[in-house]
Amino acid sequence: MTVTPAVIEEEEPTKKGLSFKFPPEETEMGLIAGIIGAVIVIFTGLPAVIKGVGLLLVLLWGMDSVRKTSKYGLGTGVPSIGVLGTGYGVVGALMGLAVAEYGRVGQLYPAVLVGVIVMGAIGLVSGVFANGEKFIAMKIPRLERAMMELGMAGTLAILLECSILTGSLNFAAVVNNVMNTGLIALLFIFNCFAMLHPYNACLGPDERRERTRICAVEISGLIWVLLGFAMIGLGTSPYGILDGVSMIVFGVIVWVVFFRMFIKACMDECYETVGTGMIKTIE
Amino acid sequence: MPIEVVLLFAWMLVIAFLAFIACTFEDLESDMGSQSNPNSQVQLAAQVGQVNRFFNKAISGEPLSNAMYCVTAGTIAWLLLRQFEPLVPGEEWKAAVLAIPIGVLAATMINMIFSTTAHCGRVAGQKRFQQPIYLDVLYGHLIPIGAHAFMTTLCITCIAYIQSNIGTLSGNPALNHPFALPLLGFIWGITVGAIGSSTGDVHYGAEREFQDRPFGEGKRVVYHGKITRYAECGVRTQKDIAGFCAKFGGPVTGMTFGLIILFENWRSMVGMQLGGFLPALPAFTATGDMAAIFGIVLGLLIVAALMVGNLVFVKWVRKKYGPFVGV
Repeated sequence: MTVTPAVIEEEEPTKKGLSFKFPPEETEMGLIAGIIGAVIVIFTGLPAVIKGVGLLLVLLWGMDSVRKTSKYGLGTGVPSIGVLGTGYGVVGALMGLAVAEYGRVGQLYPAVLVGVIVMGAIGLVSGVFANGEKFIAMKIPRLERAMMELGMAGTLAILLECSILTGSLNFAAVVNNVMNTGLIALLFIFNCFAMLHPYNACLGPDERRERTRICAVEISGLIWVLLGFAMIGLGTSPYGILDGVSMIVFGVIVWVVFFRMFIKACMDECYETVGTGMIKTIE
Repeated sequence: MPIEVVLLFAWMLVIAFLAFIACTFEDLESDMGSQSNPNSQVQLAAQVGQVNRFFNKAISGEPLSNAMYCVTAGTIAWLLLRQFEPLVPGEEWKAAVLAIPIGVLAATMINMIFSTTAHCGRVAGQKRFQQPIYLDVLYGHLIPIGAHAFMTTLCITCIAYIQSNIGTLSGNPALNHPFALPLLGFIWGITVGAIGSSTGDVHYGAEREFQDRPFGEGKRVVYHGKITRYAECGVRTQKDIAGFCAKFGGPVTGMTFGLIILFENWRSMVGMQLGGFLPALPAFTATGDMAAIFGIVLGLLIVAALMVGNLVFVKWVRKKYGPFVGV
């Protein structure tokens, strides 16, 4: 005698092409992005697109850290965490640039990583202060680590963007081309948005990390396009105009692919996507 | 009075007028897409069972997102100005007429991209509350959002351009603002967003949501979502709200920002005039201190006058509409 189950569980059809699983886990993401980002920051003579790949990874890492910090239930505070990370980043980048000349070998600037390490330490300390029993005692799980990663990712991102715009990490060149021209405002605000917007936009009980990360990659594509225009305008790249044009082309490709992927993922995974309709009442 | 000084005051008035328009449209844009304060109700509504046809534009807080549009517009305009200005020597305004709208258009497109990701992402994140994505709501609100954002960003970029060239425009290049165009756009964007976020959300205030309550009384949070559901006639969307707010909330927000800009610039200009700083900027001597002192004293007088005015007004309101319920 066969017994039919009372409730037949409907299996959700698996949606292909929507998941974005590189690398799958938060710690691996941090390690990979941190190491690759640090290596690309040191080698300032690389073409802008390769630095852009490093920037993409670092911003993904920063978005992950924002998510880690805010996941316990922060709602309206998500943007401020992203701004905090970028604020760490600007201070750390200035610090790294100030000591960049020490130990310089040609186009290699290993000393800028001092800024990254110091900002990681400051982030860790502020996380400990915020969470510690003797101080503010917020007791947010894993806050210390998330704050540390925020500081490091923010610093690496600002350094990479400065390196893309000026073609080097010489303090005078960065001050002339990035600070005095006002482009630092562009770097600041778009770093903020790449880190805070994905989690802020996908916030909700059914948020999914893969979907959120697709959004982060999409914003990185936009940043590539804007940086490409700025590079062409400044004309500082050692590879000439081709460097800026390649940034714009790759940026547009990345943006189109991931924007489509993100919107498709949202429309497939939401409760229902309808052309139009009346609202229904749920009691 | 020398013509340079008159021109400086005239440009200051132009900036104040542009600020008025910018903040009016900023407030209406946030009502159209429910950013910052109105967003709480839209976000909450679905969670308490009030499925709605609202646009959930959770890009970030208003100050940051407006800073983003204005920085983008300022950067692109600045890059284009660098290319165009050498082509028309002596008539740089022609370059500005072309460059600023192109930059603002790019910023508007970025705004619409971010709006789309925010709406789709937030609704997808609320799957368990059975809130669907209505495509007509998505498409129908994008263009109004973009149009309002275009006006805001255009005015702010114009203000930044005028400020960074104010000396050249009024005949004394030494008075040009030391900050570059993108940086001024950043500062003004943060300011316009902050004021638009804090002022003028009449739809979610006493004018509509608490219309049936005694003066100053609140509502239980469960009922807050109801405002997203039905309008006076039919299902409510945010196009109705923009129309409602354009009558009072938007202009009053614009007036707040415009008055801040007017008073702030007026007091520093008058201080410079009284301190002997205009029309020619002398080397920094003791007269600089005098200009600052005059400006600060005038500012304190303005603040005192505003405080007294507020006090009288609030007293009059409480007398007319009764005391606050909670007090």
